[in-house]
Amino acid sequence: MPLTHAPEPDPAPDLSVVAPLYNESQNVAPLVEWILEALSGCAGRFEVILVDDGSRDDTWSKVVAASVLDPRVHGLRLGRNVGQTAAMMAGFDHARGRVVVSLDGDLQNDPRDIPALVAKLDEGYDLVCGWRQQRQDKFLLRKVPSWVANRMIRRLTGVPITDNGCSLKAYRRELLDRISLYAEQHRFIPALSASAGARITEMPVRHHARRYGESKYGISRTVKVLVDLFTLKMITTFRSRPLLGFGTAALPLLVAAGLFAGAAVIAATQFREIKATAVVFPGAALLFGAAAFYLVMLGLVSEVALRNERESASEIPTAWEIR
Amino acid sequence: MVAQGAVMEPTTDSAARGRTIDERFVSVIVPVVERVDDLVTLYHSFGAALAERGNEHEFVFVFDGAYAPSAELAALSQERPNLRLLRFARTFGETAALRLGIERSRGDVLLTLPAYFQVRPEGVGALLDALDEQTDVVVASRSPRIDSWLNRLQSAAFNRMISGVTERRFHDIACGVRVLRRSAAEQLPLYGDLHRFIPAMALREGFQVVEVAVPQHPGNARTRLYGPGIYARRLLDLAAFFFLAKFTEKPLRFFGLVGSVFFAGGAITSLVLLVNRIEGQAIANRPLLLLAVLCLALGVQLMGLGLVGEIIVHLRAPHRRAYRVRERV
Repeated sequence: MPLTHAPEPDPAPDLSVVAPLYNESQNVAPLVEWILEALSGCAGRFEVILVDDGSRDDTWSKVVAASVLDPRVHGLRLGRNVGQTAAMMAGFDHARGRVVVSLDGDLQNDPRDIPALVAKLDEGYDLVCGWRQQRQDKFLLRKVPSWVANRMIRRLTGVPITDNGCSLKAYRRELLDRISLYAEQHRFIPALSASAGARITEMPVRHHARRYGESKYGISRTVKVLVDLFTLKMITTFRSRPLLGFGTAALPLLVAAGLFAGAAVIAATQFREIKATAVVFPGAALLFGAAAFYLVMLGLVSEVALRNERESASEIPTAWEIR
Repeated sequence: MVAQGAVMEPTTDSAARGRTIDERFVSVIVPVVERVDDLVTLYHSFGAALAERGNEHEFVFVFDGAYAPSAELAALSQERPNLRLLRFARTFGETAALRLGIERSRGDVLLTLPAYFQVRPEGVGALLDALDEQTDVVVASRSPRIDSWLNRLQSAAFNRMISGVTERRFHDIACGVRVLRRSAAEQLPLYGDLHRFIPAMALREGFQVVEVAVPQHPGNARTRLYGPGIYARRLLDLAAFFFLAKFTEKPLRFFGLVGSVFFAGGAITSLVLLVNRIEGQAIANRPLLLLAVLCLALGVQLMGLGLVGEIIVHLRAPHRRAYRVRERV
């Protein structure tokens, strides 16, 4: 393997800009140029990390070319296409900056917003989310589903961020060490950060229409987002006290079991002539009772199985010093 | 491995550990598990093919519990330092044998061979040639196939089914002849009976896999027909692999779907019964009520299971990475 981790002589930068790319060949050079230009006025060192998420076009050779032109530009090439969340995680894992900024590789985010985001972060936040103004996307296919999804996310997670889908965000390193994204969770970064104890805010950012290439999203994604959202809500509610969660879920089943048991008693004492009654109501009561019992047992299994994981250091919420 | 998104421990390449990689030295790993040809001949002919190519090599035979080296092979191993024989005390299967072979061999390039002539020894050169800097795994595809249509039919059916799960079509995934870099082999999640899926698994883990045509050996042409138990096991393996590949990161997508089908069925049946009751019919003597309750309970249980899986995945997330870095600049 030509994979050598050479010792890196340059000191750690203050700011890392991470951009995942999937089949964005034409966008690489303008993106890099734009980022470098936007950050040229910045004090402090920065680095740009371009993550090629298994592109099928020549995105990687463009990334290599960009890294040759400027030593502050780094490239990561992933073994196969793993999706935006995992590609962003790859960038985060290799970012060395105290502050990390993520943005889309398709030129729709404006790198000129980066300094403002970082300044906002320094006011005392762990996460600053971009909020796209005058979104340049198709109304019915992109904006409406996004509006619905954002409302649902706000309601269910209780995190007051307007635009969860905007990739342009600034993170403090300490926060990134606390959150681990997998599957398609990049949309829930504000919610996950909030549950890790982060201070979160949002600020308006610019948004441009796509110049080159094609959007990789469709409307079917909204349904998936809602399923994922429901899952996330369940996880964040259940994970700290699984037994309590499963016990609560078992309650309605117990009530149903009780009702059928009562009906069975009434049927047995009042209507002796119908023999089938002696089976159906007690049977239903037993089934509901068994399901409730099963859920409580699942809660116990989770308590035992997850003990080690819940002891791990990344489960400690983040906090800040008060001076 | 684990599902959409192969999941694995952070990469540690041999290069990163400061070792130099010797491309010329090949460790041949032979798990002796089901069918066995004359292993002395196998050793000599494949050894000759490697020597002719200028490859230094070692052979590691791993005998599963039911098999033992012949006296001739044992005697040969006394005088040949590059021939090593290992034996399990009981039956552990091919995957375990491969893992032991990987652990006990020392080369950076591994060649796995079945314990019988599946391909012509001369074909090994083409496999090793294909292992360039950009490649981690080379799998042999027996071609041209010279065996009966029945063998080919079975093989084609199996490959077709697997290709439905993987993003790329493999022509001969079950072929036991493969070349792997040690760095890749050590990171493959090999357990259970998953050795048949090595190429597909490597692909999921983000390794670069190529398929190379190698001529089939005449000895491999005999028609094979297995008992129904074997076919059932293969199908179960396939189902296990399919589940691992698709849902390890999102268990609730699977359990939730199945559970909600049951739950919806139970809910609709209950509604029908409720309407009947309001209309004045007695429902206490209808077994349908039991069915409705059973479906509801089953639905809730399945979703509960999925949720437990989901919590496990969530809490393990800090220790796993769904990506593998292929190159850095």
